[in-house]
Amino acid sequence: MNTDDLIAQLSEDVPPVRRGAVGLRLVLGILLGALVSGTALVLVLGIRPDLGLAMRGPAFWMKWGYTFSLALAAIVMTVQLARPDSARLRWTWLLAVPVVLLGGLGVAELARTPPGLWLAMWLGHSWMICPWLVLALAMPIFIGLLWSFRRLAPTRLRAAGAAAGLAAGAFAATVYCMHCPEVSAIFVLTWYSLGILLAASIGALLGPRLLRW
Amino acid sequence: MRANEEALRGLMIDGLDGDAAAHAALLRLLVPLLRGFYRRRANGSDDDIEDLVQETLIAVHTRRATYDRERAFTAWLFAIARYKMVDHFRRTRRLQPIEGLEETLIEPDFENALVARLDVEELLAALPGKQAQAIRATRIDGLSVAEAAQAGGIGESDVKVSVHRGLKALVARIQGGAR
Repeated sequence: MNTDDLIAQLSEDVPPVRRGAVGLRLVLGILLGALVSGTALVLVLGIRPDLGLAMRGPAFWMKWGYTFSLALAAIVMTVQLARPDSARLRWTWLLAVPVVLLGGLGVAELARTPPGLWLAMWLGHSWMICPWLVLALAMPIFIGLLWSFRRLAPTRLRAAGAAAGLAAGAFAATVYCMHCPEVSAIFVLTWYSLGILLAASIGALLGPRLLRW
Repeated sequence: MRANEEALRGLMIDGLDGDAAAHAALLRLLVPLLRGFYRRRANGSDDDIEDLVQETLIAVHTRRATYDRERAFTAWLFAIARYKMVDHFRRTRRLQPIEGLEETLIEPDFENALVARLDVEELLAALPGKQAQAIRATRIDGLSVAEAAQAGGIGESDVKVSVHRGLKALVARIQGGAR
């Protein structure tokens, strides 16, 4: 096609774009995915029966705060990497904040607990399945983010994939809090984070293939 | 319309606000800019270059939401242009090394030079033909006064006077524009 004709054709469809459209689209993708993950959680895993009681204690909010703040920091990264001029990333240190805070809680928890119980506390009841469930719940959210990226313009595809995987993993872990009865900070720091990192790794692996445009 | 950062950014923002005419004007201004970019970088055939230009225009259009109004427009544009070029090479010449790829990816000087050259051409176009030609010959193409006089079929003193008057007019114009 002739370039002038192309321009004429493209200029027929110029809807207004609001500020913050990138973030909005990413959040929409995450919410759509989280809806699927949440439904799967309710139908397959089930919400923990004592959720109402747990929400009145600190352990639930410790877990939820960790996963949710990590998810927000990952979205900040993803928004930046969804733009073409993403050479310099800002606010990467935000990702470290939840990890360091939870690490501090973990140390305090270990100090309060007799060493003989450390292993049991670290492994909890579900260490073997927790990372895999987080990863599984991350998949619908990652797919939602892939949908978001169809109108976005990442140029660092591996990094963008990793950030999207991280956001998906962290949001999946936030959803998983509704099911998981574990209460220990070092449990969350290890096994939740492992699931989230698996999701980020898969994102980094798939990014260059799936995010091309 | 001058194809400089300020003007392009203004058109882009108007386009984002839904002004189709501004968007069309922007895309038209980008065509020579992108042709220059790809001709210098991609050393492919003219068809290849036109393909790349069109692909980039489509990307600029469909991904316009990713432009951040607070940031430089040309940086955003050339980031897309570079991505499209690397992607093009990846698809069409999978096994050939890309000459100067690293420069392509990291060196923005050429992009600035491209925009600056457009500005210079724009300024020279406002001068009388003889003055513009004399400045172009002696200050941009690097000819001596004697060579410029010979090429233009005019006297050496004529070249000197034209350059002098032309530059003076440009200085006045730029200072006037800055005020």
